[in-house]
Amino acid sequence: MVLTDGVHGPALAPVELLALNAVLVTISFFLLCKPAQSAKREILVLSSITLAAAASRILLEPLPNVQPLTVMCLVMGATLGARRGMAFAVIATMLSNLVLSHGWWTLFQASGWAAAAFAGSRLGLIVDNVVQMKRLAITAVIASVLFDWWVSLSIFTSGMTISEFGIYLLNGLPFDALHAVGSLVTVVWVAPWLANLVFEETAQIEQPQVSGEADVISA
Amino acid sequence: MKRSLVLSLLLLCLLVPLSTGTDEDRSSWEVDLDNGYISTKPIIVDEQVIVRTSGFWTGDDRPHVYAFDIDTGHENWRFRNNASTNHDMSPLLHIRAGDGACGTWDEMVLVGWTDGRVTALDISSGSLVWEMQTEVVSWGITGEMAVDEDSVIVPTRQGISKLCLSDGAESLRVNLPELGWRNGVTVTEENYLIGNEEGVLNIISKQGVVSNISIGEGKIRHAPVVTDSGIIIHLQTNSGSQIYLDQQLLSNEGYSPAIPLAVGQDVYLATSSNIIWLDCSSNCSVEGKSTYHTNGEITHNAFNDTIWYPHNTPDGGWGTGIPGADIASFNTQHDTYTTAGVAFGDNGEMAFGNDNGILMVLLSQNSSLVVEESEDDSIDSNSYLQQSLILLLCGAMFFFQLKKNNKMATKIGLLLLLVIMIMILPDVSNIWSKEIDSLEESPGDWDESWPEEWKETQVIVFELPDGEIALGGFAGYQNVESFTDAAASDLNITVSKESYDFGVWITSFNGESGEGWEFTIDGKRSSVGISVADVDEDSVVRWSPA
Repeated sequence: MVLTDGVHGPALAPVELLALNAVLVTISFFLLCKPAQSAKREILVLSSITLAAAASRILLEPLPNVQPLTVMCLVMGATLGARRGMAFAVIATMLSNLVLSHGWWTLFQASGWAAAAFAGSRLGLIVDNVVQMKRLAITAVIASVLFDWWVSLSIFTSGMTISEFGIYLLNGLPFDALHAVGSLVTVVWVAPWLANLVFEETAQIEQPQVSGEADVISA
Repeated sequence: MKRSLVLSLLLLCLLVPLSTGTDEDRSSWEVDLDNGYISTKPIIVDEQVIVRTSGFWTGDDRPHVYAFDIDTGHENWRFRNNASTNHDMSPLLHIRAGDGACGTWDEMVLVGWTDGRVTALDISSGSLVWEMQTEVVSWGITGEMAVDEDSVIVPTRQGISKLCLSDGAESLRVNLPELGWRNGVTVTEENYLIGNEEGVLNIISKQGVVSNISIGEGKIRHAPVVTDSGIIIHLQTNSGSQIYLDQQLLSNEGYSPAIPLAVGQDVYLATSSNIIWLDCSSNCSVEGKSTYHTNGEITHNAFNDTIWYPHNTPDGGWGTGIPGADIASFNTQHDTYTTAGVAFGDNGEMAFGNDNGILMVLLSQNSSLVVEESEDDSIDSNSYLQQSLILLLCGAMFFFQLKKNNKMATKIGLLLLLVIMIMILPDVSNIWSKEIDSLEESPGDWDESWPEEWKETQVIVFELPDGEIALGGFAGYQNVESFTDAAASDLNITVSKESYDFGVWITSFNGESGEGWEFTIDGKRSSVGISVADVDEDSVVRWSPA
C-alpha cells in the first residue's frame, strides 16, 4: 500500500504488541489504584466518559484529524486530576485503537494525550468549577499541534534524517490546523458541558478531590 | 444539552456517504463478481450475459466465466479455471451450432486462458464440451481468437493453432520466432494475419506457409484490421504509437493504443490522448479526431449505430460518439479504470464491466439514461448537501449575531470554519505538499549503466522479486499513475490497484503484493499519491517493495 507504508513507523510483532498493551494497561492500573478510597460512583463516571470518548473518536474517524479527545483530556485532567485524567487518556486511546488500528503509534498517542491531561491538571483551566474558556482555547490549540508533532515521532526511524523529519512535519501542517480548529470547536461546544457533568456527578463523593491527587503525582 | 444534540446532528450530516446506489432500478441490474478485473467485454447471447474475470489469486479466488439471465441477473452457471495463473484478457468467443468437414457442434462459448488452454463451454449449462492445451511461454493465450469455417484460430505466444470446433482437435500448428501479447488473429480468405512484439506482421497461408512484413519498431497488440485500402496496424512504440496502412505511416499518435474496431470501411482507433476515425473505403483518410483517453476495446452498438470507448482513468466510465465530434460520457456509481468494451444485445440491452469486477446490465436504451442521470443526481445531491450545510450554518450564525448572542454566533462560526476546512483539506493538502516537495532537492536516481538515449526522458524501474526491470524513452506523462500504467503495459507487468476516496493505491505488480509497494521520483519519496504525484520529462520513477 503505497501511501501508508512507513507513515506509522515500524510494524510490531504480536509479542511486541502484547508487551505494548501490557505497559499501557499497567500504567492505567497504577494511575487508577491511588487514591485507594475512590468511590464507586467516580469510577463509574470515569468509565462512562472514557467509553464515550473512545466512541466519539471512532465516530469522527472519517473526519481527518478532528480529535475531540485532546480537549477531553485537558478537561478531565482539570476536573479529576492528573492521575485520573492520564488514565482516561490511555484507556480511551487503547479502546478506540482496537477499532481504528493498533500499533507502535498507540504508545505515542496514549502518552501524548496523557501529557495533555497532565497539563490540564496543572494549568488552572477550571477555577471554582468554572471553565476558563480563553485559557482552555489557547491551551487546546497549542496541545493539538504539539500532540501531532509528538505522534509524528512514531515514524522517525534510524534511516530518517532530521531534515526529512522536518519536511514530514511541514507536510502535516494543514492537518495540524484542522486539529487545532477541531479542538476549538470542542472547547466551545463540549468542554463546559463535560466539566459540569463531571462536577455534578462527583460532587457527592466524600473524599479529597483534585488537590490530593496532584500531591500524589508530584510526590 | 440541546446544544450537544445540535452539534451531534450536524456532525452526523457530515458522515452521509458521498454516493447513493441505483441498483433498485428495475430496468437494470448489477453484480459484484468480486474475484478480479473484468478486462474484456462481456457477450450477450439470446437471454444470457456471459462475462469472464481475471482473478486476484487471493485465497480461493480464481478466474471464472459466468453466465447470467439477462432479465433477472440470476446466475445460470459459472466455470472456474484453477490452473490459470495470470490475468486473463482474451475475449470470449460465441459459436453458433453448426457442422463442417471436421464434425458437428452445438452452440458454445470458446474461452482462451493464460495457462494455454482453450475450453469450449456449453452455452446453456457451462459444462465443458472439450478442451485443448496450446503452448505456454510464461503466458498462454492473451489475444482474440477468430473463426475460420469449422475451426477456431488461436493466437498463442509464438504462433497459431487451428482447432476443430467439434472436438478441439488441432489441424494446423504454426510456430513463429517472436513473442506476441494480446495479438489477436485475423482471418482473411486466404491467410491468417497476426502481429507480434517486434512490430512484425506475419501472414500465414491456410496451408501454414509463413511470410512477414516488418511494420516498424514497436509492438502489434491487436488483430490486424483488413480494409479495402489495405491492412491497418496501430503500432505501439516507445514514444507513443503509429498508425500504418500496410507499411505506409499514416500518422503518429499518443501512448498505449486501444484495440481498433472496423465497422465496414470505417476504422476507429484510440490512444491515451485521442480517438481517431479513418475512412478506408478509398485511402484511409482521417475523418475525425477527438480528445479522449481510452486504451481498451472499442465497440459498436448496431442497435443505434454508436461507437463506445472505455475510459481508462481513475474516473472511469465510457464515452460514446464519433471522433471529430463531442464525446458523451456515460457514468455509473462504480466507475474506475476500465478497458473492457461494452456488450450490446439485439434489443438494445447493454452490459458493462470494469476493473472493479462489477458487471452492470441495462435492459433498454432508456435505462441507460436512468443510470446516467442517477449518477449525476448522486453527485448533485452530495454537493447540494454540502452547500446546504454551509448555508444552514451561515444562516444560524447571522441569526444569532442579529440577536446579539455573540457567544452562540462564535460557536457556530467555529463549526462553520471546521466544516469548510474539512471540505477544502484534500486540495489544500495536495497544493501544500507540492510546495513542500519543492523545498527538498531530489538526490537523483540515474544509473550509469542505462542507455544514453534514456537521458532527458522519463524512466521507470520496477524492483520485482525476480529482478529489477528498467525502461526509459518515455515522454509526455504527467503523473506517476499514468506513467506506471503505460510502462507496465509495455513490459507485460500486470498492475493491481485499489481505489479509495483519498486516492488510488497500487497493491501488486504481477500479483506480487508483499508488504506493499512504494515509489520514489528521482530518488525522493513523494508525499502525495500516485494520481497527483507529478513527473517531469526527465524523471526516474522507481517502484520498490515496502
